[in-house]
Amino acid sequence: MDPKTRNVLALVVIAVLVALALWQALPLDQKITQGLDIKGGLSVILTAEPLGAAPLTEEAIDRVETILVERVNGFGVSEATVQRQGANAFLVQLPGVRDAKQALAILGEPGKLEFVDLGSITDTATIALVSRHLETDTSVEATDLARLDESAYEPFMTGEVITAAQVTTDQYNNAAVSITMNATGSDIWGEVTTRLAPTRGQVLIVLDGIAKSAPSVQEPILTGDTQITGTFTFDEAKRLAAVLQSGALPVEIRIDESREVGATLGQDSLAQGLTAALIGLGLVALFMAVYYRGLGVISWFSLLTFAALFLGVLAFMSRLGAFALSLPGIAGMVLTIGLAADSSILQFERFKEEVRLGKTFRSAAKSGTRHAIGTSIDADVVTLVSAAAIYLFAIGPVRGFALTLMIGITIDIIVMTLFTRTTIVLLAESVVAKAPALFGMKGGDEHA
Amino acid sequence: MRRITIDFMGNKKYLFAFSAALVVISIAALLVRGLMFGIEFQGGSVMTFTGTADVSVERMREALDEAGVAGAGAAVIQQTDEGDFIVRTSEQDADAASLQAQAVLGVLGLPDQDASVTTIGPGWGANVTNAALIALAVSIIAIIGYVSIRFEYKMSLTAVVALAHDVLIVLGFYALVGHEVTPNTVAALLTILGYSLYDTVVVFHRIRENGQNLVRRSFQQMANDSINQVLARSINTTLTSLIPVVCLLAFGGSTLKDFAFALVVGLTLGAYSSVGVAAPLYALWKEREPRFQALKRKAEAHAAK
Repeated sequence: MDPKTRNVLALVVIAVLVALALWQALPLDQKITQGLDIKGGLSVILTAEPLGAAPLTEEAIDRVETILVERVNGFGVSEATVQRQGANAFLVQLPGVRDAKQALAILGEPGKLEFVDLGSITDTATIALVSRHLETDTSVEATDLARLDESAYEPFMTGEVITAAQVTTDQYNNAAVSITMNATGSDIWGEVTTRLAPTRGQVLIVLDGIAKSAPSVQEPILTGDTQITGTFTFDEAKRLAAVLQSGALPVEIRIDESREVGATLGQDSLAQGLTAALIGLGLVALFMAVYYRGLGVISWFSLLTFAALFLGVLAFMSRLGAFALSLPGIAGMVLTIGLAADSSILQFERFKEEVRLGKTFRSAAKSGTRHAIGTSIDADVVTLVSAAAIYLFAIGPVRGFALTLMIGITIDIIVMTLFTRTTIVLLAESVVAKAPALFGMKGGDEHA
Repeated sequence: MRRITIDFMGNKKYLFAFSAALVVISIAALLVRGLMFGIEFQGGSVMTFTGTADVSVERMREALDEAGVAGAGAAVIQQTDEGDFIVRTSEQDADAASLQAQAVLGVLGLPDQDASVTTIGPGWGANVTNAALIALAVSIIAIIGYVSIRFEYKMSLTAVVALAHDVLIVLGFYALVGHEVTPNTVAALLTILGYSLYDTVVVFHRIRENGQNLVRRSFQQMANDSINQVLARSINTTLTSLIPVVCLLAFGGSTLKDFAFALVVGLTLGAYSSVGVAAPLYALWKEREPRFQALKRKAEAHAAK
């Protein structure tokens, strides 16, 4: 393939990438996920600490995660997430949550799993609330459920007695949950099931004040080994098992960092950040055109290509759930504007310099851009190293800054090699050679 | 276009004296005034209230008192240009801080969504600080490693001297103006380390290239030419990086300003230290090598004729 065909091909590749990126990214406000500090809501870092001397087992931490997920689902907030951070910390994000106070209280308390004789509840309001809880699938987006009034029911035992809970199948191959209990639990359980079995009475399972399930007792169970069957799906069974497992965790859940962002502030910040970014971009474009003339105009297209690809990648990552734009992220983006302009400047300067040294426009463009790209990549790698160090080791929102910076640098390398360089080389042979003054240069071919 | 040539190597004494003075002032400022660390490092709460343009600082202090904010007297109250309030307290309990912020809104008669509260619990700050220090150390070691492999150790060591110079002066500046150091500041600083090195690497690249077939000129002269050759590029790239960041400082909200402030100070210093500190130091050191000593004598003899 001759060089010219290769250059044209590079431009075609870039054009396709830009088209793909724009298709991914537009409209921006729907395609790029906004972080909590922009959308408003509550973001909490919780740490699980062992209550006794023994360190937390991996299993215990998994159970803490299960509890947190259950609690977060109980808030009925869409897009709520629970993420493991490091050995024993969790990042809980509740976008748009209204009552941060209540959310914090619920998240921070130890899990409370209770077993209640449903027939013993007399308060009609509570009975109504229980049936509402049981009808609502609290794992999915749900209404903000009110919790049961603690004084209105009397648990006969709590979650501490459960030693294991897992999903099994019953004799008809339907999903079921089997539980085992310790001796104390078995005694109480035997007594209660013996009492309830004749009437097929229901045992209500309550987690953190929310009724989760109410199986009927079929027969007295004296060993504690219990199977809960019903018409639930495997997913439902898995959730019920998780709820049952979550009782009696020997941990304390501590709130280490809490960021509650009002929606007004977040939106104001976003508007300010975007204004700053756009004005910055405009001023940089203006500077490039004034200083580099025609070459500056090439850099406009480099910047636009850069911006389109950047937004495309952010939108794509948003779709995968791997990205949410935060304020530090915006700072990272604004910084990469300068980075993108920088790689153009390096190529322009080197190109002009080689022309001054007496090379033809054509060879100056080729060798100048090649040298400049070598320098740019070295410099980009160095910045990438710092960004990666922040991303991997730092804690908290600054990681968003590092992430956008890393994405920006990578895209910068693509744009400068595929777009800026090829455009300069292609134009050098034709347009620049004909009207060098327009590109802020003198002479050229006469030096050859 | 006319080329302006600046004699960096000839004026290296002044450049070094200038840098040394800044470093001394910075160290003094750090020792005397110290740094003000944000709540992320030491625990506490920051409450931000929006829509408070017509509330005075005195009224805010009263409101904090009335709302029962713990240690309201000692709270640091700051009003932004947009009229928002940023209030820092020592409250380390997220629950309590959230409640207090709602109470303040109640006292001032503002709607719910106008408060933002960040609370950092006790002990967490140590984690954040350690993580930041690890990130800093890893990043510096990795950068030195890269430059050493890609270039040579004399370049990486002088580059690191320039970096230390930048970091010290930025921190000194923070101490001097009493600006708060947050994790955002640290991230911005780390990036500037990268940026400063970026500039330095560009100069070194050129020095190495020009140094390959060096005849009849001393290493210092060649280095000076190299600096001048990349000067337009250095100034322009610093400008194009500074322009957006200055816009961020001018138009951004408090989080963005936090980044922008450190970036503006650091970028400026980084650009200066590449041509004013790293390159002259490297040239001086390099010239002590025997072959360049010989070249220097030749060049001097040539000039004397």
